[in-house]
Amino acid sequence: MSREFLKGIGVLVSIVCMVFVLVHGGPSMAAEKPLVIGGSLPLTGTFSATGKWVERGYQYWAEEINAKGGLLGRPVKLLIYDDKSDAKEAVSLAEKAITVDKVDLLLGGYPGTACTAVMPVAEKYKMVYVSMGGHMKSFSQGYTYSFGSPPLMGEWWYLGFFEWMKTVPAADRPKKAAVYTMNNPIGMALMDSLYKGCKDLGIEIVIDEKYNLPLTTADTMITKAKQMKADLLFANGMFPDGVMTLRACKALGYTPKAIVQGIGSVIPEWSKELGKDGDFIFSGTSWHHKLKYPGNDRINKVAKEKFNENEAPLYFGFGYAWMQTLEQAVQGAKSLDQTKIKDWLKTNEVKTIAGNFKFDDKGLPSPFVYLTQVIDGNVELIWPKDMRTHEPVYPKPAWK
Amino acid sequence: MWNPVVILQSIVSGILMGGIFALFGVGFSLTWGVMKVINIAHAAFGILAAYVAYWGLTVFGIDPILSLAVSLPLLFCAGVLIHRFLVQPITRSRDVVVASMVLTFGLAIVLENLMLLAWSPDERLITTGYSSTSIFLGDIIIRISNLLAFVLSMVGIGAIYLFLYRTRTGKAVRATWQDPEGAALQGINLRRVSMITFGMAIASSGAGGVAMAYMYSFNPPAHNLWLIFLFLVVIVGGVGSILGSAVAGLIIGVIIGLSGAFFPMQWVNVLLFGLLMGILLIKPEGLFRK
Repeated sequence: MSREFLKGIGVLVSIVCMVFVLVHGGPSMAAEKPLVIGGSLPLTGTFSATGKWVERGYQYWAEEINAKGGLLGRPVKLLIYDDKSDAKEAVSLAEKAITVDKVDLLLGGYPGTACTAVMPVAEKYKMVYVSMGGHMKSFSQGYTYSFGSPPLMGEWWYLGFFEWMKTVPAADRPKKAAVYTMNNPIGMALMDSLYKGCKDLGIEIVIDEKYNLPLTTADTMITKAKQMKADLLFANGMFPDGVMTLRACKALGYTPKAIVQGIGSVIPEWSKELGKDGDFIFSGTSWHHKLKYPGNDRINKVAKEKFNENEAPLYFGFGYAWMQTLEQAVQGAKSLDQTKIKDWLKTNEVKTIAGNFKFDDKGLPSPFVYLTQVIDGNVELIWPKDMRTHEPVYPKPAWK
Repeated sequence: MWNPVVILQSIVSGILMGGIFALFGVGFSLTWGVMKVINIAHAAFGILAAYVAYWGLTVFGIDPILSLAVSLPLLFCAGVLIHRFLVQPITRSRDVVVASMVLTFGLAIVLENLMLLAWSPDERLITTGYSSTSIFLGDIIIRISNLLAFVLSMVGIGAIYLFLYRTRTGKAVRATWQDPEGAALQGINLRRVSMITFGMAIASSGAGGVAMAYMYSFNPPAHNLWLIFLFLVVIVGGVGSILGSAVAGLIIGVIIGLSGAFFPMQWVNVLLFGLLMGILLIKPEGLFRK
C-alpha cells in the first residue's frame, strides 16, 4: 500500500468524522451552551460576610437547576465578580457583565447601596434585575426592569414590631423610646415605620440621634438612654455597632422593656458571638428559615449538609429566593428576551421561599415585614401570628 | 445633655477607650518616627493577634491577654523577618515614606486575604466571662473588659517606654531617630536597630489589636477602619513620640466621649476631626514632637 493511498484514507476518515460531528454533534453542543447569569457581589471588604452567603444561595440554586436539566434546557453558569464592597465597582462590573461578557441574565447585588447604583444600569440596558433593592427611594425612580423579590425595605422594617405591639395591653407597652440610628441611607430608611409606629401607639421618642460609622463607643449613648428612662431602645445599626450597643446595655445595667435591633441580629454570628446576651432582641426580616413556604425545609437541610449551619442563614435564603424569581420569570416568559421576562413578572405571581409575590409598577410586592426575636439563640418568628414559631418574650428579662 | 452622670461616665469610658487607642498607635508612631516607614499593615497585624486571641479563647479557653504570651514573640519575629526581606530593600528608594506605604498597603491586602482564607469574613467578638461585667462606683460604671484592656495598654506603653529610655538598645533606637548619621558614626548598627524597632512595633500592634478586640467586633477587612485610629493617635501625639501617643490616645478617647455627651452623636466625628485639623494648623508636627 503506497503512502499516498494511506494519506488519502486518512483525509477521507477525517472528513467523514467532521461531517458526522457537524450533523450529529452540532445541535447537541449548541444545546449545551451555558446560560450565563452574571454580576457582582461583595466577596471581600466590609459586606463580604453577607455577600458570601448570597453567593452560596446563588450557587446552590444553580446546582439545583442544573440537576433538573437547566433553565430553558440550558445549563446555568454563574459569573460572579467581586465588587470589593464598593458600589462604584458594582456598577462597573454590571456594565462589564452586560456589555463585555454579554450575560443572558443579570445577577442581583448586595447591599442596598450597590443595588441602588446598579438599578439604573439595568434600566439603561433593559436587563431584568431582581435583588433586595435599596429601600423605597431606589424603587421610586421609575425603573421598570427592577424587582424586589423579596425586597429589604427599611421603610417597612418595623411594621411587624408595631403590629405585634398593638396586641400588647396598653398599660404594658413602652412609654419612652430612645432611637440611635446609623447615619447612612439604610439607617434613614428605617425611620418611616418607626416614627409612624411610635406615633400610632403614643410612644414618646425622648432621644433621636444619628451616629456615623464606625461607631467608636456606645457607652455615652446608653448612659443617655438610661438617664432619660427610655423603656424602648431602637438600635438602628448593623452587626458591629449593634453588638457594641448591646454590650453597653448590659455593662451599664440598662434593661428597657424591649430592644429592637435594625440589622444584624438575624445572622448566625449574633448568637454565636454574643451567646445568651444576644437573646430577646427584636428585629425585622423579609425572609426567615421557618416560614411555611415550600422550599424552606429543603434549603435548611442543604445549609446543614453543606455548611454545617443549623438552619439556612438569612442571606443564603435571600440569594436563593431572588434566583427563584428569575427562574420562574424566564420559564414563564419561555424566553431570554428581557422585555418578555419583565412583562411576565409585572403580570404574574411568583412563589418563593419568602412568600408569594405580585409586583406593582415599582417592582415591589405589597408591604410586609416579619417580626423576629432571638430566643435561646434561635431567631424565632413572632409576627404575623399565623407564622409564629415561638411566643414572644416581653418585657425583656434582666441581664444575667 | 448637661447631665453630670452622663458627663462623668463619658469621661471614664473615654479614658479607657483612649488608652487602648494609645497602645495600638504607639508602634505605628515608632516605625514612622524612627524609620520613616508608614506601616499601613499595622492594623492588619492587630487583627491577626485578635484572631489568635479569639482562637485561643474559643478552642482552648485561654484568656485573650494570656494568648499574647504566644502571639507577641511570634509577631516580633514576623516583624524582624518582614523588615529583613521587605522593608530593608525599600530603604534605598528615593522616597522611603511613599515606598513604605505602597509596600505595606500590599502587605495589608495579603494579610487580609490570608485571614479571610483562614477564618472567613464572619464577624468575631471576644466574649469572656467578664465581657459585659462592670464595677459600679455609684452612678459611674467601669467595664471590666475595657479596664483590663486599658491596664494592658498602660503596661505595654510603659514597657516600650522603659525599653527606649532604660536599655542600651532603646537608647540606640532613640539616637537613630534623632540623628541617623550621628548614630551610625557612633557605631550604632542602623540595620539592627531598625529591625528591632520594626519587630517591637509589630508586636505592639498585636497587643493593641487584642485590646481593641475587647471593645470592637472584627473581621479581616476591619483593619481598614482601625487604621483611622492609628493615624489619629500619631498626628495628634506627634510622630515617634511614646508619651505623645499615650496622651493623644487619652485626648481622643475623652473627646469622643464628651462630644457624644454634649452633642448629638452625629457630631462626634465632626468635632474629632475638626480638632485634628486644628492641631495640624497650630502644631503641624503634633502635640509632643520636639
